[in-house]
Amino acid sequence: MSGWVAVRLIAGREIAERLQGRVIRVMTLLTALLVIAGVTIPGLISGSSAPTRIGLVGTPAQALAPSLRRIAQAARVRVSTSDFADDAAARRALAGGRLDAALIAGPSSARIESEQGISASVRAVIGSALDGAHLRSELALAGIPLTKVLPALTPVPVTVAELHPKAPDQAARDVAAVAAALLMYVSLAMYGGAVATGVAQEKTSRTAEVLLAAVRPRQLLTGKVLGIGATALGQLGIAAVAGLIANAVVHSARIPGSVIALIPAFLVCFLAGFLLFAFALAAAGALVARQEEVQMVTTPIMVLLVIGYVLVYPAVSSPNAGWVRVVSFLPPMTPMLMPARIALGHLAWWELPLSALIMAASVYGMVRLASRVYANALIHGGPRLGWRAALAIR
Amino acid sequence: MSLALELTDLRHRFGDLVALDGISFGVGEGEIVGLVGRNGAGKTTTMRAIMGILRPDRGAVRWLGHEVGEGDRMRFGYMPEERGLYAQMALRHQVAYFARLHGLEREAALAAADGWLDRLGLSGRADERLVALSHGNQQRVQLAVALVHEPRLLVLDEPFAGLDPEAVDSLSEVLRERALAGAAILFSSHQLELVERICRRVVIVDAGRILAAGTLRELRVRFPAQLRVRVDTDEDWASALPGVTVAGVDEEGVLLVVDPGVDPQTVLRAAQARGPVDHFAFETGGLLELYRRMVSG
Ligand SMILES: Nc1ncnc2c1ncn2[C@@H]1O[C@H](COP(=O)(O)OP(=O)(O)OP(=O)(O)O)[C@@H](O)[C@H]1O
Ligand SMILES: [Mg+2]
Repeated sequence: MSGWVAVRLIAGREIAERLQGRVIRVMTLLTALLVIAGVTIPGLISGSSAPTRIGLVGTPAQALAPSLRRIAQAARVRVSTSDFADDAAARRALAGGRLDAALIAGPSSARIESEQGISASVRAVIGSALDGAHLRSELALAGIPLTKVLPALTPVPVTVAELHPKAPDQAARDVAAVAAALLMYVSLAMYGGAVATGVAQEKTSRTAEVLLAAVRPRQLLTGKVLGIGATALGQLGIAAVAGLIANAVVHSARIPGSVIALIPAFLVCFLAGFLLFAFALAAAGALVARQEEVQMVTTPIMVLLVIGYVLVYPAVSSPNAGWVRVVSFLPPMTPMLMPARIALGHLAWWELPLSALIMAASVYGMVRLASRVYANALIHGGPRLGWRAALAIR
Repeated sequence: MSLALELTDLRHRFGDLVALDGISFGVGEGEIVGLVGRNGAGKTTTMRAIMGILRPDRGAVRWLGHEVGEGDRMRFGYMPEERGLYAQMALRHQVAYFARLHGLEREAALAAADGWLDRLGLSGRADERLVALSHGNQQRVQLAVALVHEPRLLVLDEPFAGLDPEAVDSLSEVLRERALAGAAILFSSHQLELVERICRRVVIVDAGRILAAGTLRELRVRFPAQLRVRVDTDEDWASALPGVTVAGVDEEGVLLVVDPGVDPQTVLRAAQARGPVDHFAFETGGLLELYRRMVSG
């Protein structure tokens, strides 16, 4: 039998075994929900940056519209204005959610009405528009020609330089980064763990000996990793489709394009990360003498996954830090940190190709190392082996 | 006879322990060979070397005259000493899966799986999971896995251990049938009366070496035969015969140890000269007896 026929058979059995279990269904559902949440929640969060809709009631208020918009623009506060004939109409609009605030301005006083209050910045914008109008009318009353004081009325130009500007969609990006890292961590830990458990089961139940009479260790290892990997990709694919559908349904144009582009990037990172971790975990699983030892031998590897996931939080708060860049290139950290960095959007053009190269090289190295440990350890009858001992067996 | 499977000078050590110390023997097509020897003698290690699971330090395993390759192993069937199958898999799919690993197509594999499960007394249970079966029935499944692809070489490590008498009979029958179909069969067992019944040839190993190999008849001539003779006389008629020692006398007659090369006919004539002979038979020859004498001697 050609090598790949056996690999395909072995992978097929792994897939069938996993599809029979209930765990996979629950996990697929949870993953899809996580992705849907990741897609919709940023949309809801960034909803707060929608313009504040201000209703202008009566002529004096309506006269403020141009200066309101000008001041708001200068202050980088998003507002929109609309005119209302009377209080009652404006209040109906407020109650109906079509309006965020109503400005009712008289000759010497003004009222701002809202359902649940307005932000301080919107309050300041309206305040300074009112103040400007008030000042102008007082000057006119005092007979001072406007042209004379115009220079004094012109605001001092202030430029606000943002050294590290936050993108307007930053909240969405932050959530996407954390969600991607979490999903990556959970998927790698779960499916990588399944590889270790499966290998240990075949070894401790001595099924490996029956299998090895027909196929080579290399085929057995490859088939197992590919079969479980395909199941994982299938599950993540379902989640990705669910996410895209959710995005279409909530029509969340507020989700930055880069977050949607994150989905294929995530799948590629998962594939690389899975190969790296699954081969390592397969070798670890082959070291045990009893099924209970699986946890012990896999813990050091699993800890790397946890570290990668935990580091996403500081990475989100300071995406430009040097250490974030450096750490994201370390192969065991890359699967969690690179998708996060892609979501955060601070990558130089050369970073992804370089990272891909490093990942490919380390996957290759891991496959070689793990295959050797696996082949040696799988038929070893004695007590639990160390990595070094397993490598040393002829 | 041309040997299908041929082992030459297999040697293997586990650390300081010499497990195989120059094992050479063969199994012909259509031949059933029994591998016997005490615990730790090296039977399992020999079989694992044949199956390519263990690479011996030295020596060669040949199949039909050439070094065993991957394609050859597709046509080998193996039942390891420590049984192992997927606990949660249904019998039918399990057996069919191993058939496919040995090159059968999907449909053929399922049909063969059903056929062998029936044959081994598991009809009607094909959809049950392995864990639901008793130990002996799990072993039948393991046998089905070894047999399902109709291998040209069968290597069975203690296939009879744990089987009930019915299963022992049906397995014996299966083995004879496979041998008639031309398969070469090697199995190990501690149930020597079974080995004696099924095998034409036996190989006795001890401490990684071959103590003796051949048909029972061939092995027998290497030892002094034991003759029991009952003659109606009280006289000692036998001690004086050349090459004959009296090992015991009781109501069953005299037990004589006859050196190889002594013609039993001369003993018979000497006995008849004393009186009517109502019993004259070889007492040794059981494999168990031979084995005991070889392993202790
Ligand atoms: N993986 C191993 N590591 C170390 N020593 C081993 C290993 N496998 C077998 N041995 C040793 O090699 C020798 C031969 O063992 P083997 O299993 O071949 O004996 P056996 O004839 O099958 O015995 P039994 O009748 O008990 O099954 C024994 O001394 C055994 O302890
Ligand atoms: Mg044994």
